[in-house]
Amino acid sequence: MNGDNPLLRVRDLKVGYEVPGDLIVPVEGVSFDLNPHEVVGLIGDAGSGKSTTALALMGLARPPGKILGGSVEFGGRDLLTLPDAEIREIRGRDIGIIVQNPRAALNPMLRVGRQIGFAYRAHNEATEAAARAHAIDMLRLVGINDPERRVEAYAHELSGGMAQRALIAMALSSTPKLLIADEPTSGLDVTIQAQFLDEMWQTVQKTGSAMLLVTQELGVIANFCDRVLVLHKGRIVEDAPVRQFFAEPQHPYSQEVLRFYHERASGYPEQVTGGAGFLRTDALTKHFPLRGSDKVVQAVDKVTISVAKGEAVGLVGESGSGKTTVGRCLMRLEHPTAGAVILDGQDITALNAAEMRKMRSRMQIVFQDPFDSVNPRWTVADILDEPLRVHEGGDKAARRERAVAALKQVDLDPSLMIAKPRDLGASTLQRINIARALICNPDFVVLDEPTSVLAPRARNSLIALLARLQKELGISYLFISHDLTTVRYLCQRVAVMYLGQIVEEGSVEQVFTAPQHPYSRALLSAHLMPDPTNRRVDNPVPAALEGEIPSPIDVPKGCYLASRCPHVTDACRANPQVLTDLGQGRAVRCERVVAGEITLQEAAHD
Amino acid sequence: MLLRYITRRMLIGVIQLFCLVIAVFFLIRLLPADPVSRLVGLNSSPEGYEQAARQLGLDRPLFEQLWIYLGLSPDIAPGLLQGSLGVSWASGSTVGSEIATFLPVTLQLITLAFILAFIISIPVGMLGALNPGKAADKGVFVYSLFAGSQPEFWWGLLFVYVFYFQLGVAPAPLGQLSPMTFPPEPVTGFMLIDTLIAGEPAKFFEALHHLMMPVITLAFILSGPIIKMVRQNMLRALQSDFVLYANLIGLPRKRVARYALRAAMGPSMTLIGILYGFMLSGAVLVESVFSLGGIGQYAIRSVLAFDYPAIQGVVLVITAISLVVYLLLDLIHAAIDPRIAY
Repeated sequence: MNGDNPLLRVRDLKVGYEVPGDLIVPVEGVSFDLNPHEVVGLIGDAGSGKSTTALALMGLARPPGKILGGSVEFGGRDLLTLPDAEIREIRGRDIGIIVQNPRAALNPMLRVGRQIGFAYRAHNEATEAAARAHAIDMLRLVGINDPERRVEAYAHELSGGMAQRALIAMALSSTPKLLIADEPTSGLDVTIQAQFLDEMWQTVQKTGSAMLLVTQELGVIANFCDRVLVLHKGRIVEDAPVRQFFAEPQHPYSQEVLRFYHERASGYPEQVTGGAGFLRTDALTKHFPLRGSDKVVQAVDKVTISVAKGEAVGLVGESGSGKTTVGRCLMRLEHPTAGAVILDGQDITALNAAEMRKMRSRMQIVFQDPFDSVNPRWTVADILDEPLRVHEGGDKAARRERAVAALKQVDLDPSLMIAKPRDLGASTLQRINIARALICNPDFVVLDEPTSVLAPRARNSLIALLARLQKELGISYLFISHDLTTVRYLCQRVAVMYLGQIVEEGSVEQVFTAPQHPYSRALLSAHLMPDPTNRRVDNPVPAALEGEIPSPIDVPKGCYLASRCPHVTDACRANPQVLTDLGQGRAVRCERVVAGEITLQEAAHD
Repeated sequence: MLLRYITRRMLIGVIQLFCLVIAVFFLIRLLPADPVSRLVGLNSSPEGYEQAARQLGLDRPLFEQLWIYLGLSPDIAPGLLQGSLGVSWASGSTVGSEIATFLPVTLQLITLAFILAFIISIPVGMLGALNPGKAADKGVFVYSLFAGSQPEFWWGLLFVYVFYFQLGVAPAPLGQLSPMTFPPEPVTGFMLIDTLIAGEPAKFFEALHHLMMPVITLAFILSGPIIKMVRQNMLRALQSDFVLYANLIGLPRKRVARYALRAAMGPSMTLIGILYGFMLSGAVLVESVFSLGGIGQYAIRSVLAFDYPAIQGVVLVITAISLVVYLLLDLIHAAIDPRIAY
């Protein structure tokens, strides 16, 4: 695949940093080529050196890191040996880069327009006024509404998606020949992510640049890249066209990453029968009072869900949809404003403190950030012992035996008992969190985005573990996630939340193959399925939802989606929508869908 | 928006000052001291003692004294409400006029010292931050170690020894002007301004010459912590994502350094404010070494004489100035960093 005249030729690039008495080399010999007009994906685990590599291509390393060797040939010159002034000319002019966490990358003290102007004027002769005009043009090009006003904004006044767009406007302001995008969509919601990548892809095509897309997401690779580079332990272990990579991954690491993709053929998880309503909520509502105002944040609005014994129910939706609050209310970490939470026939919102403490051994939660969920000074043995001590007592040796068994249950070695959280990786620690949640044999576990901080390979194995434990132990899960791929693999049923309400629920198969509610449709169409044979860039998809999720303080009077829905009518704006049962366990909150006015076919033609 | 913020801060400041007045008023009266006997001497007759107490108003009940001080009984004596800080017991002249003589000396000294310290500290701190661990940075470290760790009077004496006694480039440390020079008519109290108003440039330069040593001494002391702070904040700014990105987008080195400097200056403002408030009375050692009659010396004199009105006046004025300085620096901070909302 390497052309005769690559745009960028990287050979044996090494980046490392010194720690007292040792040299750590996270990037130890990366070599690859990039051709003009090519979109190449660089995939790898967290800590595999992706971002370090991306920076090193520009001749930079985050202190205390240093580029130790190798060459980055661009336009016939080795960027790593150029004097400072010359490489500064190439950065931004010939190679643009956008980084993770765009808001931190923008200067917080300068208006966005001025920053773009500085970047432009660093490489082009232009007056301040011309640079400003150019900044406005660039912001318009990257899809920012009202660019004349946005050039005056400061970074903290922009949303994450908008800041990312401002960054790409800056990176592309001098029409570079190569754009490096380092996880450009991390931290964005699915709906915005797809839209943003579409726009970025189109902009790159328009300006005729090549692109190196650094990511952890197979979906991004499959939908936007022509070629894939796999970075593993500081080296490129695979370099293949995207279809070939998905069809026949060569390296064992790639094979493991793609395991899900290959297992997809096995179909959807089997539905459970019996035990219905083991855990259920009845019109669960949670309002947060707003300080200094009589208004409330309506985080959860009359949510009624039900999880059968041994069933996994997915709860999906954008950030701000209230899914985490539902999980916290179920655990009574937040006390619901109204409604009931019923576990095995008992309303836990009515329990007193002592009864609730007893109840807690039957219901557990696993949080998103594994490091925040444990006491960093404790050993794994202490962490696992705590719930046993609190709920069961018993002698020390027996408890230790239970802890060792719990470790084995999550496929960890008992030697980890003496380790402390800082010695462990995120995925190992998340397994320990799961082991801790399961150690008192709960009936019900809330999993609040347990995989979202994990790299794809670790995510896959954690999902496989959760599926296995569910089958073995017959536990019920509420699986809160914005990652539809994992929901599809783990859950039997799914509920879609929007602005504190459930807008659709049904079996995963029903909802994933034929979503009814306009919001579920948008969510699913925005989801990047890791399928290179059906690429987003080849078949334009229906436009995503306009605008952003409204504020949960002033919720709309009628349908909550009315401001963004392509099928909106005046009736939708006026009438509050009710969740209507469609039979076969399906329900949808849209009177037009219920009336059969919006059909799947129609949606497909949108 | 801005005006409303300033008004609100001023109002809060007035409330703070009011509480301070009350607290100080009672606290000094808790001292196991007898200002009357300090005034009339231990051997005075009981009649003389009583007369003196009556003169000072100390025979009145405590709350009546407070009322008078606050200016709520203007028929007896003017108080704070009438803009009067009272009459000094030690000297018999009004506290206001005495502070007006002593305060400008201190303000002039420390303001110039702060400006000089800033001019030294910013490039030096930047130099250290831009070359961490290198020779320049080590030099900066040694400098700030010396500047920050020895008492100012010691440096003052050393400077006097070297520059006056040995080299003869500095004047004798005997006040704001040479003892032979006739001072200009005090208008503002600031010697540098008053000489200009009087149209006497020769005296202006003489005053400047006399200020040189104390200002340099104080600036030297102040530059220690300021350099450390600039270097620290600058280092942090240089490691921030937006400076890395400025490099990635190919901005010139100078522009990147300015990005980082601006980010470093904001948080530095807070420390400057605290140091300035501290120096209002903390410059007293340097003032003593160079025989400058500043507010610190006035404060010490008043405390030793149990001169209650003078103590109260000094505390009030210094606090008021500190509050204004804090407000000004907060406004500057907000101008530097748009994320600071009023």
